[in-house]
Amino acid sequence: MSAIGISALKVLAALGLMLANGVVMIYMLRKVLGHLHIRLGPMHVGWKGTLQTVMDVLKLLTKEDITPRAVDRWLFRIAPAVVFIPSLMAYAALPFSDTWRVTNLDTGLLYTFAVLSLVPMGILMAGWASNNKWSLLGGMRAAAQQIAYEVPLLLSVLPIVMLVGSMNLGVIVEAQRGTVLAVIPRWFIMNPLFWPTFLLYSVSALIETNQTPFDMSEAESEIVAGFATEYSAMKFGLLFLSEFSNQFIVAALTVTLFFGGWTLPWIPEAVSNSFGPVVFMLKTYLVIAVMMWIRGTFPRVRIDQLMQLGWQRLIPISLVWIVFSGIVIKVWS
Amino acid sequence: MWGMGLINGLRISWRNMRRGPITVKYPYEKLTLPERARWAVAPKYFADGSPKCTACMTCVRTCPDHILDIYVTTAEDKTKHIDSFFYEIGACMMCGLCVESCPFDAILMSHDYELAVTDPADLSYDLLTDVDAATGARHKAEKAAAEPAPDTSTAGEVSVGE
Repeated sequence: MSAIGISALKVLAALGLMLANGVVMIYMLRKVLGHLHIRLGPMHVGWKGTLQTVMDVLKLLTKEDITPRAVDRWLFRIAPAVVFIPSLMAYAALPFSDTWRVTNLDTGLLYTFAVLSLVPMGILMAGWASNNKWSLLGGMRAAAQQIAYEVPLLLSVLPIVMLVGSMNLGVIVEAQRGTVLAVIPRWFIMNPLFWPTFLLYSVSALIETNQTPFDMSEAESEIVAGFATEYSAMKFGLLFLSEFSNQFIVAALTVTLFFGGWTLPWIPEAVSNSFGPVVFMLKTYLVIAVMMWIRGTFPRVRIDQLMQLGWQRLIPISLVWIVFSGIVIKVWS
Repeated sequence: MWGMGLINGLRISWRNMRRGPITVKYPYEKLTLPERARWAVAPKYFADGSPKCTACMTCVRTCPDHILDIYVTTAEDKTKHIDSFFYEIGACMMCGLCVESCPFDAILMSHDYELAVTDPADLSYDLLTDVDAATGARHKAEKAAAEPAPDTSTAGEVSVGE
């Protein structure tokens, strides 16, 4: 098959995974949040409500697509695509296993973060084009928050890059293979040097992906639905699909950077490699479950508190930590 | 220590998750109401199916919302015939004063709480239509017959309906 054909198939596979993730994660979110709040979540459509999200997708696809009269038509139409396409692009560098990946980028980590940083632009476009105060507020918040938090997000993972000496996500996973003293996995989360890194990364990642308690740009209780207020039907669907997809990507990055990616400790390489993608997905969904647990527990922070946390705490702390861990890595090696 | 509140919050929601849902799946599962729950007013009947109401009008006078009304035709021998026992449930506040005031224990607050209707006209209806009212003598006879056994009828019993 030609190179273009293979690439097209890879894109389609990524798209399929993204859509499937969306459906599964929305169902999971409803169930997890429901049980955290001592409720049941969806129960009626299908066994235990399993078909509820499928029905919701059908509903979104068949709903009337309303374009309000006062919107900026061009921007209004492009914005969902600008939000959606970077989310899809971000799947490119994720290593699902040794061989299962769209591309093997040497700058995989940087590429993923760079692509994800295009999302707030789309959100800002959506907010501006809607010609609606709530939407504009949501868009401005997205710009303020997500662009501000890209700095600590990227800074926070630099110690790992320094230790591994590569931005290739596959190489980062390979560096975590095996065990220390035959018991402790060689995952970076087990290394005390990376505990603050993990903390900084997880906070910035939650903020970067717009997860409650940091979902300032949607904030239903404050600004209706933020940037998505004027959107309906599948345009709305795309906006939210990309949000869930970003959550998946950040969870996958967490697994890749801190929890050994597709590798399993204690099991011979040849065995664990054969079901690498399964391990990777399981780990990722476990991380997603923890993110949902956080989402179901904490109330939303205020936007000024959020900005203060970012500029006054996270960025200086991550800078200091980069210097410190750089020295430690240099001295030890 | 700073941050312990966050951990504690996570702990609490985790505990909630493990408690399992306490939801009652309403249309399929229903809670049993307390015995003295007060919902729609309903008439009571003798064992033979004739209403216990004597059309004495006490409930009509008691009702603070003026939503009960009994239209009666009195025959020449002074027996009463209830043309209709009107009840406007849309304005009823389920206070139960009519039931308390009834000297013949002829109405009750039923446990029928699914009161939503699709037509506003259904918010008022007749509890009894075109029946002979019970007489005082009938009540006396029934009471005498039931005397040896303790009275088992309570307000909590669900009525047969309108």
